Amino acid sequence: MSELRKDIISGRWVILAAGRSKRPDDFRPALLEKKEAPAGFCPFCEGNESKTPPEVFSLRKKGTGKDKPGWWVRVVPNKFPALNRGTPPVRHDEGIFQWMDGVGVHEVIIETPGHNKELSDLPLYHLQYVLDTYKDRIISIEKEFQYKYVHVFKNKGKDAGASLSHSHSQIVATPIIPKGVNEELYGCERLHRQFGECIFCRIIHDETRIGDRLVLRNDHFCVATPFAPRFPFEMRIYPLRHSPWYTTLNKIELEALAKTLKIVLEKLKNVLSDPPFNYFIHQAPNPNLPHEAWVNLEKSFHWHLEIIPVLTRVAGFEWGTGFHINPVTPETAATFLRA
Amino acid sequence: MKKKLLIVEDEKNLCVLYKEELTKEGYKVTAVMDADAALELVKKHKFDLIITDIRMPVKNGIDLITQIMALRKDIPIIINTAYQSYKHDFMTWAADAYVVKSASLDELKSKIKELVG
Repeated sequence: MSELRKDIISGRWVILAAGRSKRPDDFRPALLEKKEAPAGFCPFCEGNESKTPPEVFSLRKKGTGKDKPGWWVRVVPNKFPALNRGTPPVRHDEGIFQWMDGVGVHEVIIETPGHNKELSDLPLYHLQYVLDTYKDRIISIEKEFQYKYVHVFKNKGKDAGASLSHSHSQIVATPIIPKGVNEELYGCERLHRQFGECIFCRIIHDETRIGDRLVLRNDHFCVATPFAPRFPFEMRIYPLRHSPWYTTLNKIELEALAKTLKIVLEKLKNVLSDPPFNYFIHQAPNPNLPHEAWVNLEKSFHWHLEIIPVLTRVAGFEWGTGFHINPVTPETAATFLRA
Repeated sequence: MKKKLLIVEDEKNLCVLYKEELTKEGYKVTAVMDADAALELVKKHKFDLIITDIRMPVKNGIDLITQIMALRKDIPIIINTAYQSYKHDFMTWAADAYVVKSASLDELKSKIKELVG
């Protein structure tokens, strides 16, 4: 029997059509990804620094120079960006239509100098370098007031949108707050007024108490499958300490996040045979700007990281209705992921 | 000495147009209509610049660039395509410039000048 479930924050409903799939392996035929042929050349590899724009940030060995080999993590602007840095864009109205200049930031975080290393293969200290780099770049970009929102995300595998297998993440900063983030912010604000506490803090508390969707919990983070997940094996990493911004993570928390993320990525790899996936950080908008619209932003929003394995296709029903059909209940997914 | 350009363009009329226009600009131009022919030429001759289309039958321009880079990383390459969408593919970073085809060849000519003079 299928079930309809509502996501409390977004108000979005999902259809859990469980029962069709008994094992994680049942999804493997759905994976359409072809293994990438070995590339003869990769612009992200160490030694090919001249093929990227000049780096804006790197963590590198002592004595090595900018845009030269010897780095662990390297950040470069997108060579052919869709959005360009610039002055705050002016919003134009043409009757009922609005437009503005394509101002924004698009950077690529090259997570490792080696072509064949995946994020989950990296030693903990190196994974922490990547997470430190996210923090550093967000803080740096948020100093430019025209960028209201900084989005950090990773696509792994062709079916998840990665055009290159060399492990990398991306940062896109925009002069507007994306609709999906806005809806989450408003949802959290509404629920904060209703319950008098942060809804994510409540979710962490309840998921820990119930335990059915809990994947793991340590001193600093909690990983759970959401109550109404759009996709099979979707997971969220929640920090236990309430904060709307990823950039407030301290050194100990970053170390704990590296450990947590490594475990989660290894679980994905083992349980689902190395699937393509996306992950992204949802955090509050640029803290250097006023946010009149959300009175309790600091209390109501709680940054988190969402991980979505790409195991199913979004098709006509999902696009047309906003409903997602998920063939795996989050409780079943969590059982496999805990094992 | 004239700079040597290699143009890879599967549309015959454009191939002829580019060759004529860039020859007038003072370059020595070789034009081929498929990626494999281009690759063979790169193995045998030294070009100062390669201009390649992306969407071509048999082998696309991105695969061609990857193979050229494996042979010689120092050849400047311009992607000359009708599509903006390939910018999402990070393999295009192996190229030095990305030009979207238009009726005017001004942008293409200016990028060539920028890269080889």
